[in-house]
Amino acid sequence: MKCKKCNSSSALIILRKKDLYCRECFLANVTHKFRSSIGKNKILGKADNVLICLSGKEGSTVLLDLINNALSLDNHKKLRITPIFLHLCENYETIKNVIEQCQKYNYDLYSPHISEYVQSKSHIPIVNSLPIVNNELIEEYNNMQNSMLPTVKDDFITNIKRTLYIRYAKLLNCKYIFTGETTTTLATKLLVNLAIGRGSQVQSDVGFLDSRDMEIKIIRPMKDISEEELKLYINSKNLKVNDKQTSKENEHTSLQTVISTFVSSLQENFPSTISTICKTADKIGLQDECDNERHNMCVICQSILKPDEKAISALDATSISKIVSLRKHTDSAIDVDMEKNVINSTIFPYIHNRLCYACSRNYAEIKQSKIPSYIIETQK
Amino acid sequence: MPVPCKRGCGNNAVLKRPKTGDAICKECFFWAFETEIHYTITKGKLFNKGDSVAVAASGGKDSTVLAHTLKTLNERYNYGLNLMLLSIDEGITGYRDDSLETVKQNRDDYEMPLKILSYKDLYGWTMDEIVAQIGRKNNCTFCGVFRRQALDRGAAMLNVKCIATGHNADDIAETVLMNVLRGDIARLKRCTAITTGSEGTIPRVKPLKYTYEKEIVMYAHYKKLVYFSTECVFAPNAYRGHARALLKDMEKIRPSCIMDIIYSGETMSIKEEVSLPTQRLCIRCNFVSSQEVCKACVLLEGLNKGLPKLGIGKSSKVKKLLDEYNTRQNNLETAVKDLEDCNITDKKTSKTCKNISNGFKQKECNATNCCTNKTERNVEKNNEKLQTVLDKYSLENNSQVKLDEEDSDDSEIKHQDEDDTCSSSCGRLGVGF
Ligand SMILES: [Zn+2]
Ligand SMILES: [Zn+2]
Ligand SMILES: [Zn+2]
Ligand SMILES: [Zn+2]
Repeated sequence: MKCKKCNSSSALIILRKKDLYCRECFLANVTHKFRSSIGKNKILGKADNVLICLSGKEGSTVLLDLINNALSLDNHKKLRITPIFLHLCENYETIKNVIEQCQKYNYDLYSPHISEYVQSKSHIPIVNSLPIVNNELIEEYNNMQNSMLPTVKDDFITNIKRTLYIRYAKLLNCKYIFTGETTTTLATKLLVNLAIGRGSQVQSDVGFLDSRDMEIKIIRPMKDISEEELKLYINSKNLKVNDKQTSKENEHTSLQTVISTFVSSLQENFPSTISTICKTADKIGLQDECDNERHNMCVICQSILKPDEKAISALDATSISKIVSLRKHTDSAIDVDMEKNVINSTIFPYIHNRLCYACSRNYAEIKQSKIPSYIIETQK
Repeated sequence: MPVPCKRGCGNNAVLKRPKTGDAICKECFFWAFETEIHYTITKGKLFNKGDSVAVAASGGKDSTVLAHTLKTLNERYNYGLNLMLLSIDEGITGYRDDSLETVKQNRDDYEMPLKILSYKDLYGWTMDEIVAQIGRKNNCTFCGVFRRQALDRGAAMLNVKCIATGHNADDIAETVLMNVLRGDIARLKRCTAITTGSEGTIPRVKPLKYTYEKEIVMYAHYKKLVYFSTECVFAPNAYRGHARALLKDMEKIRPSCIMDIIYSGETMSIKEEVSLPTQRLCIRCNFVSSQEVCKACVLLEGLNKGLPKLGIGKSSKVKKLLDEYNTRQNNLETAVKDLEDCNITDKKTSKTCKNISNGFKQKECNATNCCTNKTERNVEKNNEKLQTVLDKYSLENNSQVKLDEEDSDDSEIKHQDEDDTCSSSCGRLGVGF
């Protein structure tokens, strides 16, 4: 079988059911995708500290390997960054694996516990060791999580991680963060964003760069690499992945799992699906790119807060539905604008003032006492 | 145990609103349902006092509920609108008869003038005649293209200020997802607008934009409205099929996701550097087109000139044929004149295939899909969609037969989206998103 690229007859790898590659060309291609996404977007300076966030899953395993390769080159292609590795601990099994993975390459790993979120400040943890946590924090964190429906919980955890990545990047003097999302995860995330009302945040959540934070930029260098390529990369380099991934027990209980199942089955039958979705994502922009005026930000996801400009939006329509379902009115016209404020405090708390549409929608569904108070109270 | 109506009116609740989850009584449901639409109309500034408005009427549940509600609100709130029903008859033998009967019933029930315009009126050709001319293979192209423009042409004939269509919240959310899946950024941008239409065209408005399909079904049921519930003869295109399946699954988990998806569409912006295909007016017929000459005109030209394949193939071929045409007709006046004077040449009858499908993978007439339309004009009987909705949301204790949930959602399929798609003979007039 002939390699598509070099014509050698040692092609062993089949991509998208049709493209044949030899091992070398395949690995070179993945590496190229990784490097060109960083190169194209010239935002990294030389020798910058970059916080590399590792989850221990496939994407993070490949990210670690790609970074190590790029750093160990000694020609002009050498990646000139100083990596600092971080793993947010959710369970102790994964953390041991990630420490092991890093030690193979001789890298140190910081691994704070995710429950740090419930307090407003954290300290730099000790490298290569299990996080020292206080049980009260963990309990508070678990209570918070248990008070959420699966869809809200999934979205909230995404934002918790983002918040903590940024917090530790600041502590560790990094201006940049690398995360390991692939094309596949991002395609799913685009649909999830739409489904939970984050349409205006697509560029930050799915694009190459998330610049919502004033100081720290989040970069997604794996954005052009697909899940299929990840698996093949891992196989051909014999990398060890901790595959005890969280089991898919709740297959159909959250929007995120439904969408993820949908995307992978579609991809199975129509191999161009994911790239089409991602091309769509690339064309979706930020609402106010040219608008230099600094708006308030959502205290949970850091999106810009701005009241809707349209005469009527789904937000208004939802408020109206609630108003007319709850109270007795005479048939004469109701003073909708006045009542909207009252209703919004229950179905859209803090809307456009501390929280964006999606976060507000979530917040209304959570037992609010479970959310750490510093979150809503911080900032004016 | 009876549940009191959440609005505190003293009555017992009879249903749980699919949209908000609140249990309310029948009267309060009517009031809430109508008031929301009133709010959408006034806040969205859909109409101006004194406007003539054509309600696109197909006889299906959405357009029936739309006509009923608009009439009610027009009287209650003094909109001062001159409402009329507009139906399009493609001229497919047998296919439209029942739905047009229903539309006539709407006309009598709501005392609104009704205009039924046929393809013959609009284009000079019926679908039967087109099929006779070009055979069954490509008729989908014709039907779809003609349908997209039929409403605009009809509204122009009626001289109305705007067209109101029955698109509901589910339709719009589904369209957002579909446009993402197929990467259609231009339509993604347009599809959540409550009013569409570029300059020089008659705007289309969607008063039911924020109304859940389930509530429309329930409203029609409790109001005992007569509508035409048919099993669609057209398969939706693959993308819409996937989008619909996904939306149904998501709605079960979080019903608010329909509104959330619409909100996403409304607040999403497209990067400035992305160039979108511009919409312009066809130089021949003056209706919206992405080309200099719209596809309907190209197809008509082919029919009238005895070159029926014109416009079916690749656009380069169209261009070539058109160029040839243009050199012959370098005068626009003549061209338009030519178009208007068209006469039908081929009238031989042939067996008509009513499955004017979308040409997407469907090569042959599928016997179960083709030429069948289960007609059920009585709302209460055999309407599976209604049944499932009632089973789930009705609080009344009447034991209704539980029907299979599986195919409950296809009583009215609309696909008004693809250039080459036959959109929705089944329920609604084609509307380009
Ligand atoms: Zn090769
Ligand atoms: Zn937010
Ligand atoms: Zn009531
Ligand atoms: Zn034209």
